[in-house]
Amino acid sequence: MKSGQAEIVETSKGIQKSGLMSRRIAILEFILRIVAFFNTISSAILMATTNETLPFFTQFIRFRAEYNDLPALSFFVVANAVVSGYLILSLALAFVHIVTSKTQNSRIVLIVLDVAMLGLLTAGASSAAAIVYLAHNGNNKTNWFAICQQFNSFCERISGSLIGSFIAVVLLILLILLSAIALSRRH
Amino acid sequence: MAKESTTIDVGEPSTVTKSTSHVVVDEKKKKKSFVAAAAGGGYKRGLAIFDFLLRLAAIGITIAASSVMFTAEETLPFFTQFLQFQAGYDDFPTFQFFVIAIAIVAGYLVLSLPFSIVTIVRPLAVAPRLILLISDTVVLTLTTAAAAAAASIVYLAHNGNANTNWLPICQQFGDFCQTTSTAVVAASISVVFFILLIVISAISLKRH
Repeated sequence: MKSGQAEIVETSKGIQKSGLMSRRIAILEFILRIVAFFNTISSAILMATTNETLPFFTQFIRFRAEYNDLPALSFFVVANAVVSGYLILSLALAFVHIVTSKTQNSRIVLIVLDVAMLGLLTAGASSAAAIVYLAHNGNNKTNWFAICQQFNSFCERISGSLIGSFIAVVLLILLILLSAIALSRRH
Repeated sequence: MAKESTTIDVGEPSTVTKSTSHVVVDEKKKKKSFVAAAAGGGYKRGLAIFDFLLRLAAIGITIAASSVMFTAEETLPFFTQFLQFQAGYDDFPTFQFFVIAIAIVAGYLVLSLPFSIVTIVRPLAVAPRLILLISDTVVLTLTTAAAAAAASIVYLAHNGNANTNWLPICQQFGDFCQTTSTAVVAASISVVFFILLIVISAISLKRH
């Protein structure tokens, strides 16, 4: 009888320990969501406030460059804004995961939504990256001129705003990984 | 002692029935747990089979996308002053990245088929499912990146950009534009397949 009681106490301690591990995973997820939110919102704002006016006027190129002159960059701003809004709203669900222990179904919902947002963010970031690469290097075969040779600070800003978005992509992958590990645990 | 003997005496038939009923209850419990395991394994096995079929379809589509983009070229019969009269996928670094990335994704899918078969054979195992989910997420990112970058270049080739004086080359190279657009659409379909694969893995990871 006593050994049975000791066994029961031990297994309940084991349950408590793994419950603590699940709680730690949930707290880490919460923190990563906040960091990813700051990355996406700063990328969106940095890209949306990019414009440059050249002091001189040339025959072939306009003397003002804005982010919405290139549709891929406006798609980038919209995608980052949508993902940052999603991350803020999912903070509530992540907080619930810290507090409660029976989180399996809501974790599945969170994984599905995270995957969808990952796809959207990666699409926005990589299409903007392709256009930024083109703006830096141009294309000889198609006579697409490299506009970075005229608009230096514009190019620097649009290149810099890509970095935050790619960091958020990595963070979203980590979030999906953590959710999957938490889902597959026994408790 | 007397009590024990009375229980034994009186309860001998009852202990016998108790033990038999206990055995019956045990067997029922075993049957229930076995049925439950098979049922839990049942729908997970169905999901694993669907996962395997999706992987096969995704292999076909990614190989098709990569090869269509690789063989996209067009030579114009005339010579113009501003544009070259030949267009191929290697004129665009983005399309080169697309071909290589989608080929890598096709190779990954072939390598992940054994893991998928393991999940069919052992539906309740967690480790292969977890490995598949994590690597599927990374490969989803790669595929989406390749498809979106190529899509933005294809959009530019179709529409050009008035603000930066980038001319739409599709007006000259119609066939090339069509072929590259087909490749981009095929890669986007494979992105949808990957999302479905990740959702299947997530649902199968659920423990009861």
